[in-house]
Amino acid sequence: MALLSIDDLEVEFETRRATIHAVNRISFSLDSGETLGIVGESGCGKSVSSLAVLGILPANARVAGRVEFAGDDLLALPDSKMRAVRGRDISMIFQDPMTSLNPVLTVGRQITETLRKHLRMDAAQADEEAARLLERVGIADARNRLRDYPHQFSGGMRQRVMIAMAISCRPKVLIADEPTTALDVTLQAQILEVLRALVAEERMGLILITHDLGVVAGLCERTIVMYAGRIVESGPTRELFARPRHPYTLGLLKSVPRVDARAKERLVPIPGTPRDLRSLEAGCAFAPRCPYATERSRAETPQLRPIDDLEHRVACWNPVPDGDLPPSRPPAPVEEER
Amino acid sequence: MSVAQAEARELELEDQSGLWRDAFDRLRRNPGAIAGTVIIAGFAAIALLAPALAPHGPNEQVGGLAAVPPGPSTDFPLGLDQQGRDVLSRIIFGARLSLLVGVVSAGVGLSLGLVLGSLAGYFGRWIDSIIMRVMDLMLAVPQFLLALAIVTALGPGLIQIMFAVGVANVPQFARLLRGGILAQRESDYVLAARSLGAPGRRLLLAHILPNSVAPVIVQGTLAMATAIIDVAGLSFLGLGPADPGLTEWGKMVAENAGRLESAPHLVLFPGFAIVISVLGLNLVGDGLREALDPKLKN
Repeated sequence: MALLSIDDLEVEFETRRATIHAVNRISFSLDSGETLGIVGESGCGKSVSSLAVLGILPANARVAGRVEFAGDDLLALPDSKMRAVRGRDISMIFQDPMTSLNPVLTVGRQITETLRKHLRMDAAQADEEAARLLERVGIADARNRLRDYPHQFSGGMRQRVMIAMAISCRPKVLIADEPTTALDVTLQAQILEVLRALVAEERMGLILITHDLGVVAGLCERTIVMYAGRIVESGPTRELFARPRHPYTLGLLKSVPRVDARAKERLVPIPGTPRDLRSLEAGCAFAPRCPYATERSRAETPQLRPIDDLEHRVACWNPVPDGDLPPSRPPAPVEEER
Repeated sequence: MSVAQAEARELELEDQSGLWRDAFDRLRRNPGAIAGTVIIAGFAAIALLAPALAPHGPNEQVGGLAAVPPGPSTDFPLGLDQQGRDVLSRIIFGARLSLLVGVVSAGVGLSLGLVLGSLAGYFGRWIDSIIMRVMDLMLAVPQFLLALAIVTALGPGLIQIMFAVGVANVPQFARLLRGGILAQRESDYVLAARSLGAPGRRLLLAHILPNSVAPVIVQGTLAMATAIIDVAGLSFLGLGPADPGLTEWGKMVAENAGRLESAPHLVLFPGFAIVISVLGLNLVGDGLREALDPKLKN
């Protein structure tokens, strides 16, 4: 049985002018020890989905569907019970390490707060454990640094502190929302290594939300591609990157630069801008930007269906034909200039 | 030693410092703030040690009644008033009441403002609307007039004055804090704390409030200064402490305003005391504002 399973999750934001359909009936599941990647451009509903799982969306959000964890539907749990799940069973790492730590509390205080609340440790135990956690994520001189404030840490170290906070209670599910976006490349590699080790050693389920396809290729067994609040393609990462069947996935792969690209190779951007989420018109949301769009794409909304093999699923009326698939140099090939 | 090593050294030396300690360090390096602190500490010491410092009692008649009271002399450095009381002694004893009034009024305004501003900013919706519309109403009336109206309603007296001036201060504290809380409420670290299971009470008290309270503290020192002036003004209008035995700077100025030409020392010296103490509080307030601003962190 899956560790976390999400069925028909739907999130809408009620604003004064309109209703924003941020997430439209998405379903996926996560096993322990598994790393699942969720990719897509800004505003496609990646972060909103994860906030919905934790139940910490703003007050004007309406959530529907089921989020099943340990036999409970998290969406139906009362807030008092949900607070015990957050941080203890499911926790989250946020994108921006510079703003996600409280500037007036010491780092130690912020880590021990969770330990004392969820695991009922006393002050001395919590300090001990916090120091161990900081060491675990690779912060030197951990014991002394507990008394420091966030502004005394660099960006990469703050991200490590965030990770230490998030894993402090050995959660079963860790959601990392663009954990490396705000960091430079060397730090990215270090942080990802920390996450990889945690998944391997603690058998955590990791949901990695990112728009960096390279990160997904290196870390995730399965990948979900989201567009305009829907899952447009999902499957084993290797399969997805080798045979992207949704034109949007193909577009994403083509717009990534490659280190081994030959001179004069060009990046191919996806034309147009993401769809306005205020209306829920019939038809594929990607159709206006899609070179493969057909009459049917504009009239009828495609549902996820298996393609190639059972694990690989795509929501498209006219999937990318074999002839247009990128040459087999995974993960992210670039189309050559004609 | 390389530059990098030197930097590392320096970082290590700073290792133990925290937010408030940093603020204190910056405060110490600000000459204006030091001058202000010295002035306020001086007045506080004078107020506490008044019986030992003052050469005479505040209501002791050391000279005779005089239509034109004598000005400064070697015996009485700041002169006598028309009832033969020593002006210096009266100013020294007056410091007690004036500073008390400043602290209590600002305290009343600050605490009520903190509670109302927190409620409005954190809970939002109709609670926010009700509280802030009332605050807007209060802000629509000039602060001094508001205090005047409240004192008139409550009747003259020391407690009433302090309360009135304090209440007249509430809207600015509430507004300032509400703004800060609104800004912090949506911040990433609050979301992060929620994601780790912190309950609402903790979010407000441990995370949001400490990050929005700095400008309110600064406003507090400035409010003490205006409270002293407001109380002096209310006393000047005859709404001051009812007990004639109580000495207060504003009252001294008020009682003798008509004698400005014949005996200017009766008005000028207590006036100076007000000006200097207010200046001291303003200097401290400005210093705090700079010290608590995280953008100026070095």
